[in-house]
Amino acid sequence: GKAAQPKPAFTDEAVQTLLYKMTGLNLHKVFRPVKKALKPPHYKLMTEAQLEEATRKAIEEAKTKLIMPPVLNEREPIDDVLAEDKVLEGTESAKYVFTDLSYSIPHRERFIVVREPNGVLRKATWEERDRMIQIFFPKEGRRVIPPTFFKDENLGTVFQQDRHEDVLNMCIAQFEPDSRDYIRVHHRAYEDIEKHAKYDLLRSTRHFGGMVWYLVSRKKTDGLLIDMINRDLLEDATSLITLYHMLHPECQSAKEAKEGKLQGVDLIKVFVKTESQREGYIQLALQAYEEAMATSSA
Amino acid sequence: AFSAGSRLLRTCRGGHVVIRFALGGCTNRPFFRIVAANSRRARDGKYLEQLGCLDPLPNAYGEKVAGLNLERLRYWLGCGAQLSRPAEKLLGLAGFLPLHPMTVTGAERLPRRRQREQQPEAAPADGSAEPGPGP
Repeated sequence: GKAAQPKPAFTDEAVQTLLYKMTGLNLHKVFRPVKKALKPPHYKLMTEAQLEEATRKAIEEAKTKLIMPPVLNEREPIDDVLAEDKVLEGTESAKYVFTDLSYSIPHRERFIVVREPNGVLRKATWEERDRMIQIFFPKEGRRVIPPTFFKDENLGTVFQQDRHEDVLNMCIAQFEPDSRDYIRVHHRAYEDIEKHAKYDLLRSTRHFGGMVWYLVSRKKTDGLLIDMINRDLLEDATSLITLYHMLHPECQSAKEAKEGKLQGVDLIKVFVKTESQREGYIQLALQAYEEAMATSSA
Repeated sequence: AFSAGSRLLRTCRGGHVVIRFALGGCTNRPFFRIVAANSRRARDGKYLEQLGCLDPLPNAYGEKVAGLNLERLRYWLGCGAQLSRPAEKLLGLAGFLPLHPMTVTGAERLPRRRQREQQPEAAPADGSAEPGPGP
C-alpha cells in the first residue's frame, strides 16, 4: 500500500534535531588538539563570569564544527554522446579531454567533453570531471588522484587502527557527497563500527548523525542501543527509537507507541520486545541500568 | 647602445589579433598555451590574454588534457580575432567549431600513406628475397 505521508528525509528539521541530540557535545573531544606547528601554551586569568562567557562561545564554535555533512543518493552515471565522426578513426592514439575554464560557471554545469580515438565526442564521466576540475580549480585538501587508502583492501588496515574519524574527514575533503566512492567509504566505516561496536569513536563528531541514519534505515540499531544503555544515555536511546518510528511507521512498536503515547523506559521495552534481534542482551543491559539507578538513589 | 625607452613598453605597429599556440615547457617536454596575441609578436612573447592550455603528452590515464576559456574565446572572436590552423583544428576536435576540413583530409590521407609505406617494404623485401633462391 502507499505510505500515508512521504518518508522523512535526512534534512528534515525533526530528524536533524534528534540526530544532533544523540551526537552529544563533548567539548574536550571536539577541541582536541589537532596536529599543528608547536606553540607554547597560552594561559589566561579569568573571573567566573568571563569563564562562563568563554565556555558559551566555545559551545557556539563546537556547534558549527558539528554540522552534519549531507547524505545524498548516488549520482546517475553520465552517458551522453554529442557527436560521432567516423572519419577520425585511427588518426589519434590518445583521447583529448576539453574543459571549459570560464570562471563564472558553477562546477556542476561546466562543459567537460572527451574526444575518443575512434572519433566519438562524449561528455566526461563523473570521475574524469572531478579530476579535471581539481586540476584547473584546485580545492584545498583534495588531490587530483584519490589516495590509495580509500581502496577497499586498504580501508581494513586503517579501521584496525581506530582511525575512522580521520578517514571520514579526508573522505569529505576528497570526494563529492553524491559520488560512489564517498558513499562506499562511509558505508564501510559504519559497517566496521557496527561490527566491532566502536560507536564511541564517532560520538561528538559530525559523522555520528550520518551513522545513526544509516543504521536506522537498515534496522541495525541493537548494538547502538546496548551501547547507549550501558553508558546511561537514556534520552539518546529514546530519541533513537523515536527516529526509528519516524522512518518505519508501519512496524508494530511504532503503532503501540502511538496508541499508548509511551515515554522513556517503557518505549524502550516495547521496542525491544517487538523489533530487536538481540533481545536478551538489551534486557540484561536495562536490568543493570535499573539496578544502578536503584542503588544510586537509595 | 641601448634603445631609448623600456623594452617592456615596446608596442606593435599594425598587425591583428590572432588566437594561437605559444610553446613552453622544457627539452622533450612541450606544453602549449592557447593565447590571444598581436600577430606581429614573437610566438612566445607578450600576449593580450591567455585563453587556455594544451598538454600534448598523454597523462597517466591516457588523456591529453586541454582547457579552453570559452567565454573569453567568444569575446575575442567577437572582436574579430583570427585563428591559427592548429587552433582551428583543436577547436574542431573539441566541438566548439565544426571539424576542420584538413583534419578530415589528413584522416583520409593517413591510411593511404600507411599502405604506400607498407608496399615499398614488401617490394624490396620481395626483390631482395628473390635473387637468393633464384640463381
